[in-house]
Amino acid sequence: METGFLRVLFDPGHFFESRMRDEPSLKVPALIALVVGLIGAISAALVANLIVGILPAEAQAFGVIVVGFSVAGAVIGGFLTWIVYGIVFYLISMVFKGEGSLARTLEVTGYGFLPQVFGGIVGAFFSYLIVSNLTIPAAGSPEEIAAVTENLTGMLVTDPLAQVAALAGILFLVWSANIWIFGMKYARNLSTRDAALTVGIPVGLYILYTLITLAGWL
Amino acid sequence: MKPLYLVIVSLVCAVAAVAGPASAGPADITVTSSSIDPPVLMKGDTGMLTVTIQNNGADPVSIKSARLFGSGVVALSDSYPSVGEIGAGNAKTFTFTVRADAGEGTFYPMFVLDFVNAGSLRYPVPVQVEDTPLSISVIRKPDAFAEGRTADITIRVANPRPNAASGVQVVPQGTGFSVTPSSAFIGALSADGSGTAVFNLTPAAETTAAFQVVWRNGINTHTADLVLPIPFGEDKRQADPLITNVEVRPEAGGYRIVGDVMNAGLESARSVLVTPGAPATPIDPFRVYVVGTLDPDDASPFEVTLRADASATEVPIIVEYRDDDGNRYTTTTMVGVGGALAAPPDEGDGGIPLAGIIVVALVALGVAGAIYYSWRRK
Repeated sequence: METGFLRVLFDPGHFFESRMRDEPSLKVPALIALVVGLIGAISAALVANLIVGILPAEAQAFGVIVVGFSVAGAVIGGFLTWIVYGIVFYLISMVFKGEGSLARTLEVTGYGFLPQVFGGIVGAFFSYLIVSNLTIPAAGSPEEIAAVTENLTGMLVTDPLAQVAALAGILFLVWSANIWIFGMKYARNLSTRDAALTVGIPVGLYILYTLITLAGWL
Repeated sequence: MKPLYLVIVSLVCAVAAVAGPASAGPADITVTSSSIDPPVLMKGDTGMLTVTIQNNGADPVSIKSARLFGSGVVALSDSYPSVGEIGAGNAKTFTFTVRADAGEGTFYPMFVLDFVNAGSLRYPVPVQVEDTPLSISVIRKPDAFAEGRTADITIRVANPRPNAASGVQVVPQGTGFSVTPSSAFIGALSADGSGTAVFNLTPAAETTAAFQVVWRNGINTHTADLVLPIPFGEDKRQADPLITNVEVRPEAGGYRIVGDVMNAGLESARSVLVTPGAPATPIDPFRVYVVGTLDPDDASPFEVTLRADASATEVPIIVEYRDDDGNRYTTTTMVGVGGALAAPPDEGDGGIPLAGIIVVALVALGVAGAIYYSWRRK
């Protein structure tokens, strides 16, 4: 099943095994992080556009800026998430006496981000469904803007579609974690158990936090 | 023969002298008392007039007849055509039925005794006629009437007449209401006395109630009416539930409205329910919030959940309650859900949509398959 880097989705073991023969390259991982960021930017733009609708007519000119910042933030966020995950995995793998460069870790982490592309698409679809059903009134004062934003946040959190999107996001994260386990095994020369712990601890904590938030315990 | 005539005449004179008069004169007969029942007549009343005479002389007196006549108060019964002899020291009573035909005042129908030996006794009997009826007044009633709400009405009946009234009762009359009791019996009312009757009146519509007082003056029945208008209005003491401290929380599929309901009235509100009204649709879990009884100045929190159109800017919150008589009342308060609030999407019953569950299931299958495949190829 030689389908380029897409092979990492279903055969990460052999994919990373073959990648180890070459020097670390961050081009494709960066491209994946960019795509994840851009797809995330779609969701961010939808929500930002919704919030822009709250602003009074005279403040609509700021709407473009708000949307622009949201899109830029989402794209940067995609890169940041990739790098943060990579650094966290790198640091945890040090506990297991992992060997290998940070660049290699970032490379495998970036490839592992590939399922997040699909997760982002699903998330953007759900965001569109949620946002398109909302009616946001114009607010004339900062107090009203704050009130609308507050109850909008609460509404987005409690919306069943948002909860469905969050569950789907967890599933795609589990898929990524599976890829990362293989990646860390080869990138840091870890046993399967140590690689699973390296990836499982931070990812597990994140999933636990997400589930607790969904259940409304926080 | 002349001496014989003289003897006969002398004997006759002697016998006449010995026998004396056959009966005594009117001077020995006196009216000792007279009375009438009822003591004071009303115009048109019938009464029983009684006259008692006594022979104060030493000899019996023969009375030919006794009669009563006059104007204003006329005798309805026949006269006594042949009374006969009344012995010395004896008394005799004559009773006449009379009727007051004229107006108010004191009348003197004439009682006449005709003696056998000519002459008669005439005695005017005073009879008082006064047309003042019993007075009737409402001494207690609610500030306002309301449809289906039972009101306590207290009626006072007073007797301003100089004589007692008997068999006094109050009978409510009219349509458009129900009343308990259907009549109230007070009984005898002495002169300047009064009595009260309490009625529970429940109007079905704006109407007029008449309270009729029925009483007897002797054997004569009289009535007096009091008309009581029953307009509907707002009772100043009634319970007044108000909704305050309202907080609207948009949720997926609807709104959750929490707040306090307070009784600002002077009477208790019972069986208080809070529910969203149309066009909003109540949804679970709080379609209706049962508060129970709210005493005056009491407050209770409430919580309702509802669904409303995205275009709705406010929804009615209905407070339903009952008074002590079980009459149902409602008050409606509009609560803003627009303005500074975003309208939530319509998600049917607020649960997770089926399409979302299917998507998650498919993703879960795909991810599980990918993971399984990746470990199998290891």
